[in-house]
Amino acid sequence: MNTWYIIAQVLGVITICFEFTSYQIKDKTRYFLITGIGSFFWMTMFVAMGLATGMSTQVSLIVAGTYSAIRNLVFWRIFSKNTPQSKEAGLNFLLVMIVVALVAGALAIVNAPPQVRWLHTLGLITALSFVIGQYLPGVHYVRITVVFYALVVILTQSPLNILYGDFRWNIMGILIELAKIASVAVFYVRYSKDPKTPHLQFAKP
Amino acid sequence: MFQIISDSGCDFTKEEIQEYGIDIVPFYVTFDEETHLKEGVDISKQDYFKRLVEEKTLFPKTAQPSPQDYVDVYTPHLKAGKDIISLTISSKVSGTYNSATLAATMLQEEYPDRTILVIDSLNGSVGQGLILREIIKMRDKGYAIRDAAAIAEQVVKTTKIYFTVDTLEYLKRGGRVGPTTALVGGILGLRPVLHLVNGSVEQLESVRGTKRVMQLIEEGVVGALAGETQHINLSLGHIFREEDVATLKSNIEAALGMTIVNPIAEVGVTIGTHAGPGALVVAYCKKYETFVQ
Repeated sequence: MNTWYIIAQVLGVITICFEFTSYQIKDKTRYFLITGIGSFFWMTMFVAMGLATGMSTQVSLIVAGTYSAIRNLVFWRIFSKNTPQSKEAGLNFLLVMIVVALVAGALAIVNAPPQVRWLHTLGLITALSFVIGQYLPGVHYVRITVVFYALVVILTQSPLNILYGDFRWNIMGILIELAKIASVAVFYVRYSKDPKTPHLQFAKP
Repeated sequence: MFQIISDSGCDFTKEEIQEYGIDIVPFYVTFDEETHLKEGVDISKQDYFKRLVEEKTLFPKTAQPSPQDYVDVYTPHLKAGKDIISLTISSKVSGTYNSATLAATMLQEEYPDRTILVIDSLNGSVGQGLILREIIKMRDKGYAIRDAAAIAEQVVKTTKIYFTVDTLEYLKRGGRVGPTTALVGGILGLRPVLHLVNGSVEQLESVRGTKRVMQLIEEGVVGALAGETQHINLSLGHIFREEDVATLKSNIEAALGMTIVNPIAEVGVTIGTHAGPGALVVAYCKKYETFVQ
């Protein structure tokens, strides 16, 4: 078996660990750091896959991974500073990310075969929802939107994608997305029995 | 018995000022940078905020009282042989503390036998008002000025203030949020919860919708004060939100099983210019008795 392929699988397992952990974290700053590191390994997994199977099939995924890693790590820096200036910078960055995703998504839709354009459209919508969900306050938006985004990604990478003539059977890609969904489920099971604590902790006098 | 003086940041009504026999040094507001109006003297809070709502292009500014303003208020009391405790709005949001301190230093040379103690409330609005109320209670109980000031400094440390706004527009005007944040926040209906940390304004959280933010403030207050209500003094304030503040008051009273004795305050220009009409404020502190052995 190709060494790069094995390295890609190892990087995939590391990605799973980080992604699963990130959705167990309530604190937004730490979430962005962990998921950002996860995105970085996710990107390197595609690089390794490219070295194993040929870069041309992996370029778009490497770009997507790089986009995710940069986005998450920039959000981490911005959220950790927590100043009006950093918040303004974060929002401007979010808007740039949305524009980039819109342009990339639109190009993908236009260039896709007509029968699978719906899938790309769905991908664009869920990806945008996820990015906005990450930015929105609270713990729920990001977890709800990531489930839909992960389901669409699974669809594009599994035999379920019956409309694609050349669907990609990428086990590790599917496992990473399943790990995110499982982590969200575990998160809600873990915290469902917790006594309802106030979302905001006001200081004691 | 010592004299108590505060700047108008304490948000006391004219009736309360008279009833408690305190003096107020007003802030200045200006709409055109030429005419400077004294808060509560030349312009009422109601008129000020009404103008702010009606004239969307208005960018009023506030200015701290000058050292001379303090000298003018301190002097008659010193001449009458009284000592003074002077409470100011947080030194992190205004230079009032410096004005008050400078005036005290100047007058101390002229009246070496008198005592003037300036206390930085590290707070504002009803938070500053709470500290003032505790000082008034100590004065009325006959506390010596230095004892009262020392206890007041302890009360300052326990005073917490939280507020929310109905629009991000005024925070944008004051430079507390950027234009993009104000625009997108407005579209999403975001309502920030702000508080003072060591005297400086910081945003604690931002949530969607008025109903949600009201619920969070209620939960936050109840969570912080549950089981401690006997030792707590609490105040609420607002700008043009009579109904919401009354609901919040009764909900907190019901949840904590306490009666909030302080009247609901109308928030003044210092916090109000940045928060804008639609602001809702809650503050609490430990009663002075907590620190008396």
